[in-house]
Amino acid sequence: MAKHEKDATFVGDSRIRAKRIPNIAPSYSEYPGKSEPFWPNFLLKEWMVAAVCLLGFLVLTVSAAPELTGKANPNNTSFIPVPDWYFLFLYQMLKYPWAAGDWVVLGTVIIPGLAFGALILAPWLDRGKERRAFRRPVATWIMLVTLVGVFYLTWAANEEHEKSLASNGGGGGGAGAPAAAADPNFKAGELWAAQQNCQNCHGVNMEGSAAAPNLQKVGAELNADQIADIIKNGKDGKMPPGMFQGSDEELTKLAEYLASLK
Amino acid sequence: MSEKQEISRRTFLNYALMGTGGFLAAGMITPMIRFAIDPMLKAAGGGDKVAVGSVDEFGPEPKSVSFKVHTKDGWYETESTLTAWITKDANGEILALSPICKHLGCTVNWNGSPDFPNEYFCPCHFGRYSAKGEHILGTPPMASLDEYETEVKDGKLYLGQIKPNPRPGVSG
Amino acid sequence: MIQKMYDWVDERLNITPMWRDLADHEVPEHVNPAHHFSAFVYCFGGLTFFITVIQILSGMFLTMYYVPDIINAYESVNYLQNQVAFGTIVRGMHHWGASLVIVMMFLHTLRVFFTGSYKKPREMNWVVGMLIFFVMLGLGFTGYLLPWDNKAYFATKVGMQIADTVPIIGPYAKTLLQGGSIVGAQTLARFFAIHVFFLPAALLALLGGHFIMIRAQGISGPL
Repeated sequence: MAKHEKDATFVGDSRIRAKRIPNIAPSYSEYPGKSEPFWPNFLLKEWMVAAVCLLGFLVLTVSAAPELTGKANPNNTSFIPVPDWYFLFLYQMLKYPWAAGDWVVLGTVIIPGLAFGALILAPWLDRGKERRAFRRPVATWIMLVTLVGVFYLTWAANEEHEKSLASNGGGGGGAGAPAAAADPNFKAGELWAAQQNCQNCHGVNMEGSAAAPNLQKVGAELNADQIADIIKNGKDGKMPPGMFQGSDEELTKLAEYLASLK
Repeated sequence: MSEKQEISRRTFLNYALMGTGGFLAAGMITPMIRFAIDPMLKAAGGGDKVAVGSVDEFGPEPKSVSFKVHTKDGWYETESTLTAWITKDANGEILALSPICKHLGCTVNWNGSPDFPNEYFCPCHFGRYSAKGEHILGTPPMASLDEYETEVKDGKLYLGQIKPNPRPGVSG
Repeated sequence: MIQKMYDWVDERLNITPMWRDLADHEVPEHVNPAHHFSAFVYCFGGLTFFITVIQILSGMFLTMYYVPDIINAYESVNYLQNQVAFGTIVRGMHHWGASLVIVMMFLHTLRVFFTGSYKKPREMNWVVGMLIFFVMLGLGFTGYLLPWDNKAYFATKVGMQIADTVPIIGPYAKTLLQGGSIVGAQTLARFFAIHVFFLPAALLALLGGHFIMIRAQGISGPL
């Protein structure tokens, strides 16, 4: 760069040489083995691989719509949280007694810190010249054991999540609970206000609670007869039967009122 | 004094450059950093107590009540609904527990698992708590369920701020 | 015509050496799947970059409809997915791509590890690669919250609780990330900023370093 030729000529007053370099690829005959230029020979192969991957990817995006659960509702107690799958192994570790309670620092800081620290410092921990995996068994075995651990923890976390989903009535959104967040401006009618037992669980303004779903739009899902049946007989073993105070006529009225809420 | 240490013009210019660069960086970044960490330095505001019902409603069996509190989340102010599990023991002592699991913040339920009757159960990592909110040793939580400050006035129960539960863990 | 335009620019800026430098580096036999099928393991780095490009593009287009506000975020995602033409596909690309990029990066890391390619003189490139890995995980964590659905909300709450258990700095880190004492409006705004500006800026800088280093050193030799 710093070599100044006496006879250098420039483009106008710029520092770009007027003497042009021909735009020709060099020959690869002097390289060992069957080397080939990146552009265009190898890039074409890479792009063909990418094209196959893109096809599969597009098929995936068309066939499987991304999940969108109900709008976030902090009071939805039946929702079982789960992190994105690639954090599951860390999440699962915190379930074990040796990484929870007084030992939680072990699970959140020490073990991940050691693992990721060792990974990032691998070039300085494994300084030998040997590159082949089976000629440096220590590094290879540590990595293999870690991989088995990570896969196992991910699998175990998923397994347990599926199980708790099943025992929770199958729905991630909660057993029949409307996903909609409670409307703070909603005012329940007088029929509701008279029912202290109902309010205890479903809230003064039917907003729901830890124990029971929001009823502000219950009419959109159930009709008056179904509601009356639930009030009389309870539901899913969670809602007890016979909590209603009053005559059958009043019960019918309340059920009709609830069914009108949409 | 001819041996006086002198810095060369080039060194001086380098120092001057570092100084100016430092000033430029600090001048740009300082307001932004303070801006970004503001939530960390802001004191949390206290709240008033909220009535949740008559004292007579509660007994030894935990009962879940929901009540509204005014919360301020930045520019977003809401009436949000909180939940408490309330018990009253034989001496009339009232205990209002927060349903937020002390392990990782899931929500616990009374008798939430058929395998563990008369306990609060967290479905996320199988944390368990006794009726007093004491965490059961050997399950993931490392603290007992938080309780609400309680106050009884004219036969009505008022709940206030959440405070830590001083009860130690018990073995299940 | 194109040749003329190229010559016009080349005469003024001398661009031929720059792009010949990029185009002419030789690809040795041992990484070329056309010669050794097992060399397909060398494709994962390129595929990671390819999916990263998809992520950047689809993310840019998603922000045309998305609003980072707790009242409207869910509705805007619901709208762009169900009302906008090809919404399912564009959000699907970003959603599935986020998982796929982690898978590809994981495989690329394993390839580099088991071929010992991180050894001298490529230590720095390995460290930069690890930093890219962490930035990607950060992008995954912050992006997960943005649709503001139940899954996102509770996963973030659990994540925050985990951060809280770290001694001394944990509670501060939690407040700083949440922008307050709860996961709420300020958390969503912060996560949006981190996901869309801070981490992508870091990612592009690190990727630039990663590529400059691989060009300077060349790919690691045959085993």
